[in-house]
Amino acid sequence: MTVYQPNRLDKGGLIDRSTPLDFTFDGKHLTGFAGDTLASALVANGVTLVGRSFKYHRPRGILTAGSEEPNALVELRSGNRREANTKATTTELYYGLEAQSQNRWPSLAFDVMSVNQLFSPIFVAGFYYKTFMWPAKFWEKLYEPAIRRAAGLGRPSGLADPDHYEKAWAHCDVLVVGSGASGLAAALAAGRTGARTILAEEDSRAGGRLLSDQGEIDGVSARDWVEGALAELASLPNVRLMTRTAVFGVYDGGTYGALERVNDHVPVPPRHQVRQRLWRIVAKRCVVAAGAVERPIVFSGNDRPGVMMASAVRTYIDRFAARPGRNLAVFANNDDAWKTVEAAHRAGIGIAAVVDVRKELTQAQRTLAQAAGFPVLNGVIHDVHGGAKGVSGIEVQLASGKRETIAADCLAMSGGWNPAVGLSSHHRGRPKWREDIAAFVPGDDIPAGMVVAGAANGAFSLDACLREGHEAGAAAAAGSGGRKAAGNAAVAANPDDALSIAPVWHVEGKHKAFVDFQHDVTASDVALAQREGFESVEHLKRYTTLGMATDQGKNSNVTGLAIMAEVSGRSIPQTGTTIYRPPQVPVAIGALAGHNRDEKFHAARQAPSNHWAAERGAPFVDTGLWKRAQWYPLPGENDWLTSVNREVVTVRNGVGFCDVSTLGKIDVMGPDAGTFLDRVYINLFSTLAVGKARYGLMLRDDGIVMDDGTTSRLAEDHYFMTTTTAKAGPVMQYLEYCRQVLWPELDVQLTSCTDQWATFSVAGPKSRDLLRNIVDPAEDLSNEGFPFMGVREVPLRGGMYARLFRISFSGEMAFEISVPARYGDALARNLMIAGEPFGVIPYGTEALGVMRIEKGHVAGPELNGTTTADDLGLGKMASKKKDFVGRVMATREALVAPDRQVVVGIKPVDKARRLRSGAHIIPKGAIVGPDTDQGYVTSVCHSPMLGQWVGLGLVERGRERFGEIVRAHDPLRGEDYDVEICNPVFYDPEGGRQRG
Amino acid sequence: MAEFVWHAVSPLQHSFTPGRMGETADAAGVRMAEIRNFNLVQIFARRGQWSAVAKAAKAHFGVEAPTRPQAVSGKAGVLLWSGPDQLSALTARRGDEIRPLDALRDRFAGIASLSDQSDGRCLLRISGARARDMLAKVSSVDLDAAVFPVGAAAATAIDHTAANLWREADAADGSPVFKLLVFSSFADSLWDTLVDAAAEYGIEVESPAGL
Repeated sequence: MTVYQPNRLDKGGLIDRSTPLDFTFDGKHLTGFAGDTLASALVANGVTLVGRSFKYHRPRGILTAGSEEPNALVELRSGNRREANTKATTTELYYGLEAQSQNRWPSLAFDVMSVNQLFSPIFVAGFYYKTFMWPAKFWEKLYEPAIRRAAGLGRPSGLADPDHYEKAWAHCDVLVVGSGASGLAAALAAGRTGARTILAEEDSRAGGRLLSDQGEIDGVSARDWVEGALAELASLPNVRLMTRTAVFGVYDGGTYGALERVNDHVPVPPRHQVRQRLWRIVAKRCVVAAGAVERPIVFSGNDRPGVMMASAVRTYIDRFAARPGRNLAVFANNDDAWKTVEAAHRAGIGIAAVVDVRKELTQAQRTLAQAAGFPVLNGVIHDVHGGAKGVSGIEVQLASGKRETIAADCLAMSGGWNPAVGLSSHHRGRPKWREDIAAFVPGDDIPAGMVVAGAANGAFSLDACLREGHEAGAAAAAGSGGRKAAGNAAVAANPDDALSIAPVWHVEGKHKAFVDFQHDVTASDVALAQREGFESVEHLKRYTTLGMATDQGKNSNVTGLAIMAEVSGRSIPQTGTTIYRPPQVPVAIGALAGHNRDEKFHAARQAPSNHWAAERGAPFVDTGLWKRAQWYPLPGENDWLTSVNREVVTVRNGVGFCDVSTLGKIDVMGPDAGTFLDRVYINLFSTLAVGKARYGLMLRDDGIVMDDGTTSRLAEDHYFMTTTTAKAGPVMQYLEYCRQVLWPELDVQLTSCTDQWATFSVAGPKSRDLLRNIVDPAEDLSNEGFPFMGVREVPLRGGMYARLFRISFSGEMAFEISVPARYGDALARNLMIAGEPFGVIPYGTEALGVMRIEKGHVAGPELNGTTTADDLGLGKMASKKKDFVGRVMATREALVAPDRQVVVGIKPVDKARRLRSGAHIIPKGAIVGPDTDQGYVTSVCHSPMLGQWVGLGLVERGRERFGEIVRAHDPLRGEDYDVEICNPVFYDPEGGRQRG
Repeated sequence: MAEFVWHAVSPLQHSFTPGRMGETADAAGVRMAEIRNFNLVQIFARRGQWSAVAKAAKAHFGVEAPTRPQAVSGKAGVLLWSGPDQLSALTARRGDEIRPLDALRDRFAGIASLSDQSDGRCLLRISGARARDMLAKVSSVDLDAAVFPVGAAAATAIDHTAANLWREADAADGSPVFKLLVFSSFADSLWDTLVDAAAEYGIEVESPAGL
């Protein structure tokens, strides 16, 4: 259903009239053409009202044609792809596009909340701060939600984004930001030298203002020159043109952030493709040719739909062949706006009048006025007539003192141009004021390696842009990878015109005059801020919210501070300016996350037997990055506790095995390995015999326990260390630090071999019987032949070898058996075969945890970064014969105080009661409070051996208080019950079982 | 008593089947294969013994030991720089060999510490016309042909996981060939990341290959 476009020009424009694209706006069916943006299609369809403002719900139209747009923000798409606050001006039109206006109810034309306007005298800057301060508790529950409902922007979909995003790196010698005249000239100059060049353009099409403005370069039209330049760039293999790519931030070391909108211009990204891609571009040099942003003038009614930036009017006419009005008025303080008059005249649009604040006109301007027959009025706009549907006329305050009303349906305004100083101020570079162009330009402290060229640097003539771009590109290439000649700069036909401008910022008038359209900040708000003492630009910004909307003040900042300068009687340089932070354009969180979302949020590590465990239906639990089997349910077992209880009882009475490959493993090698370990562990390792293992404890250098584990001596110069699963990485890092920085004189070599070995703990009174079935029968596994804490390599039946360690974490007779990791899956299957006569079972991390708590072994919840060796009951391990990391700091007063919280056992007085970790320990009879809080429960489990819940805790003077009844106070779960402090070793306290 | 059979399972054995993945409209832009049956031994020179180690490595592997980020290929395998005074030796595995250190122990006795990592790493071969575009999504290393020539190596990180990446001689069709060595336990997860990155170019998952 192709709809007639009333404001589409018959010819011209970079659109494809043979490809009509149907779309909807607020449910209304409209048609545009390929090459349109949503904004240009709306203009072509005669739609002037596109949104309601943030605070006053004023009707608003399209103001600009670029990414600085403050008004034309829409909800794009529907369902789980609905995107709020999308700029119509940068949204490429596609077939079937759905857009909804925002911040209006029940409809855009009739909006209930626009009554806010009637109360606008009280809704001034600072209103919320002043009015809703008291009572404070009303803020969160009442005021803020109510204000947010009234002052919202678009609605998020509330659903997961179905599309994919990714991140990528690019590297180059020269990055050119922006592909207008300066950017193309820079890219050509750099590219010709052979330097690796990236030209990044935010638009879908390269060319910048050359797509909208007339001109002649090197004897051809500007558009033809763009085509030629692009063809030359395409012929250079060292140049990469990235369109739809906005450079949004400058980071350290020449790294630039950029967002590529890969598939925002289609309804749904093609299969296997992302919607957006976040680039990190590493560039030796950067040429910023980001152009300039035309700024509004602040006058009564300047926000009415139908009031548009003069450059945007020109863009809609020349690039998109869409007519913003049929009878155009222009309000300007500079020559550039006259190009819009020319463009409109050429397109056959009636010119109602040009209002220019300057008295003197050029000859060309006079000729044009005469030929087109429109009046040129020396004066300012006093008011804009019209309503929500658009402009009907302008009231002009003439310099002569008279007022004149002129009919017009569109008003183009131009207050001059602000160079895009955003990127150049990302490293706190402060822009400097240039009086001749009445604008801020990049200062001297711009990021290293960056040079700014063309309009972004305040050079507004086409000729200067081409020249500056060429010079910057050539210099950047010479400073990086360029070897060949940069060729000659392109030359514009009219090496004209320094911009003539007579700055007028604000015109007093009847009604509201807007500075910041997106946040509804008016000229009187700025004046109010000054009267109330918020004179500094930073205070002005925060008090009025000027420049804090998604356009980051691109349209409003300079004007706002110029008005502040006016009302405070200072110059603009004296008033100062705020600086910009990344991102220069909004960046979706999805793009920053890229691949890392949902289950791919971080990398996952798989233990060697996981595939086998999954076959047996084991659920997996995240332990750091690892996925570990939690328990192995049997048919008919419907809750985890049943399975875990069975696993514990089976191990304690027979035999079971558990994949413990996730423990950190480190080869410590070299002649000084023993000395090295003596220094990092609190106990001695140099005296450990080859073929033996020892439990070791290491401290941080502040005396707090860092980690524990068993370390074995495999050879004179080879120790094999194990760490906890959680601390494997940090311990390895710390040991490397010790080796490289603290004791470089030691001849010791370290490497992680965690992934090399598949290791299973085989535990239970029948563990030795099981192993006798799989280990070569020639090996003596008796207590004499393989005693507790023994270690050696053994051959396995079927042609395998293993490292066998007689180590116990469960308190049962137990072995750890390791084979090269590729045989881990086979080892699990073979242990099942070897243990079949003994009823062997696999057990998971839950049963492992139950058995360690039953035995009172400390683990992560107790090694929590606040406990000392003595707190854990391991103080006696510390060797007196040597120095070790943390020894001196561990003797500090607070770390040896007698009232420290130490590890104890905790059991509920009511045996049927479930314990919960986190409950606080309060003495009986005491009032609950921080003064009476004596510790907390760290680990709990249901012990099938004791038939009740038991736990470990850290309790003040705990070891002196075995038998004492205290309260376990758990405000989080609303529980309070009596528990007994006891010995932490609940099961087999003599330890006979593990020695067999 | 039953007999025990020891089937080796490579880190990516369960993760894929050879064939096409991702976009299938055109010829695959990226080809990936898991390399199996390799031995990998880390060789750390003891204090002051680097030149002796380099000499022993030359004698054993037939190529010069690298002293900067490089992968030096020879008939016996690849010597990969992995840090100051250390290298990794990558060689083809013969049959079911499970003790690759045995063949090296005498040669390096007293001058180096050795650690077997044959099972600690997963080795991938990544090639194809779009291999660089795909790797740019996961690696911060500049892999431009001139900057990262054949033989260049990097000890880097991919998806927060330590990795060794190096470039080998180009394929017959002129497309680049990279090798990627990562910790075995991360292989599954990394494979997923690589497939995501390459999907738009079309992937040919090749049959597992030897070194």
